[in-house]
Formats: sequence, C-alpha cells, structure tokens
Amino acid sequence: MQKDEIRAQVNEVFIEEFELNLADLKPEAQIFQELGLDSLDIVDLIVALQKKFGVNFRSDERIREIRTLDDLYHFIGRIGQEK
Amino acid sequence: MDEQVDMSEFLKALCLNMLFYPLFLLVSLIGIPLLTLFVAIPAPFRSHRQNMRAFRLMIVRYGRLVLGSMLPWVRIAKEQSDGTLPQPCIYICNHRSASDPFLMALLPGEIVQVVNVWPFHLPILGWFAKWAGYLSVKEMPFEAFAEAAAGRLEQGINIAAFPEGTRSGEGPMGPFHSSMFRVALDTRVPVVPVCISGNERIPPKGSWHLKPGTIRVRALPPVTADTYGEWSPFVFKNRIHDLIEKELEIMESK
Repeated sequence: MQKDEIRAQVNEVFIEEFELNLADLKPEAQIFQELGLDSLDIVDLIVALQKKFGVNFRSDERIREIRTLDDLYHFIGRIGQEK
Repeated sequence: MDEQVDMSEFLKALCLNMLFYPLFLLVSLIGIPLLTLFVAIPAPFRSHRQNMRAFRLMIVRYGRLVLGSMLPWVRIAKEQSDGTLPQPCIYICNHRSASDPFLMALLPGEIVQVVNVWPFHLPILGWFAKWAGYLSVKEMPFEAFAEAAAGRLEQGINIAAFPEGTRSGEGPMGPFHSSMFRVALDTRVPVVPVCISGNERIPPKGSWHLKPGTIRVRALPPVTADTYGEWSPFVFKNRIHDLIEKELEIMESK
C-alpha cells in the first residue's frame, strides 16, 4: 500500500470515528496533546485501525512509541509490509 | 487613587489569609470530630446505606463550613438553569483550583467525587474521602472504575468529576479524559456540565495565597442519553468540554 493511501485511510478513521477535521490531521500533530485522544480513546483507535486495515497489532509493543500522526502512518506502513 | 485601591486589595487579602487558615484548622479540628460523632452515634441503629448517606452529608456540611470560612472576602454564587437537576447524575466540572472539591458541597444530592491519586493520601481528608466511597480513577483499571461508578449511580448517588485531571489555574481548560463519559454511555445517566469561575486565584495553582473575589458555580441544563446516546466517548467529552468552555467565556465577559 502506498504512503499516500495509508495516510488517507488513517485520516479517514480519525474523521469517521472521532469527528476530527482533516485540517487538524497534520503529520506532526501529537495524538495525545493536540488531537486530544486519551489512553481509552487510543484503544478505540486501535480497534478502528485494525478493522480498517484488516490486521491485528493490539499487542505490538511498538505502539507505545507512537507520538504523532506521522509515527502512526509509518507504523501502519511497516505492519503492512510485515503482513 | 491606584495606590489606595492597591492598599485596600492588599488589606482584604491579608484579612482573608490571616483569618481563613486558622478558621479552616478550627473547622477541621472541631468540626470533623463533631460531625463524625453525629454520624457515628446513631450508626448501629441504621442500615449501611443510611450510614453512608449520613457520612456523605457530613462531608457536604464540612465543605460548606470551609467555604463559609472565606466570607466576606470570598463570595460564592450558586447559579443554576431552570428546573431541578436530575438525580442521580454525573456532574462534569472544569478544574482551576484546589477549592473546587469544596465547591461540590453546593451541588444538590448525595455526591462522591472522582479524585486523583494524591487526595486519597492526605491525612484525615483523604481518609474520609476513601471511607465515603470516593473513586480514585488512577488507582484501578478502567473496567473496575466503571463498575464501581455504575454501582454508585445505581444507588442514586451522584458522581462529580473533573475530567481535565489536573488544575488549569489561570490558563485555558485542559483536554478532557473520557472515563466518566464512558460510564455515562454505559449507564445512560444524565450529565450535568458545571462551570466554575472566579476561583483561579483562590488559591492560585502552586500557592496557598488566597485572593479575595467572587466564585461562581453554574450548573448547565442536563445532557440526557436521548442527546448523547449515539455519540462516541471522544465526541461526547469534546462536546461537553466545548459547552463548558463557551459558557465560561460568557460568564467572564460580563
């Protein structure tokens, strides 16, 4: 899957599940501080992303290193390559 | 002229601080044991539920005594939208100052508060909070917290929460945590947004120095499950955040 496609699909999850505006979804946006997700929202995000991409990464330790949207795009990209 | 105003403000602040803290100590040292006796003496003749209700009422009375100790330099105005507030409900409040938990004594009904870890470790006040069944959101997994909160609501007890998690002081409101909104979605209990204004310097964050002023506590109309039922927890917390933030702007623009 191309980078742009991954980015578009991840953004779609944020727009559909969290009603965020596309304008707020900048790659450098901090998921906790700027987008306002908390630890419980992250669980909802993971569930929605798993459904969207058809993968299971809930127990992947690398999730803990994700801070920004860009980190998330890269993480999803790597998961896709490893599949 | 400005110097006279400054001097007058200085004297008011001096009187407030010199009188409030001794009074707070006195109210705590005498009031807490006395109020405890009023609850403890009839305790063997009442059910556990009745005792807990009396105990929480005692905490409300103590809170009102503490608030009264700041008069006349700190005035407190309780404001409410038309109609009575539904019971039980979840009070969602903004959090600017250490005086916020005491202000919960102005809200109607039997209340337990959702607290952070440290208030539970305060001597006396922390013990009473624990005995009264207050909920320490960070000391248990969310599932256990949600179950405990739902149990309180089932018994008709209101829950007051400060979902910013920490005091915002004189800065903007912090983002909300979704825990209590998830409990509301599970239990379908009405949520009452509560705006607290004017206490950002009573006392300021990181200080004990109280400034005279007027604290306003305004309960907004309840948001019921008919309205929030289809919202996600994230959308729910942000809509209530925006409601409180906008109302605070209105309250503070006058």
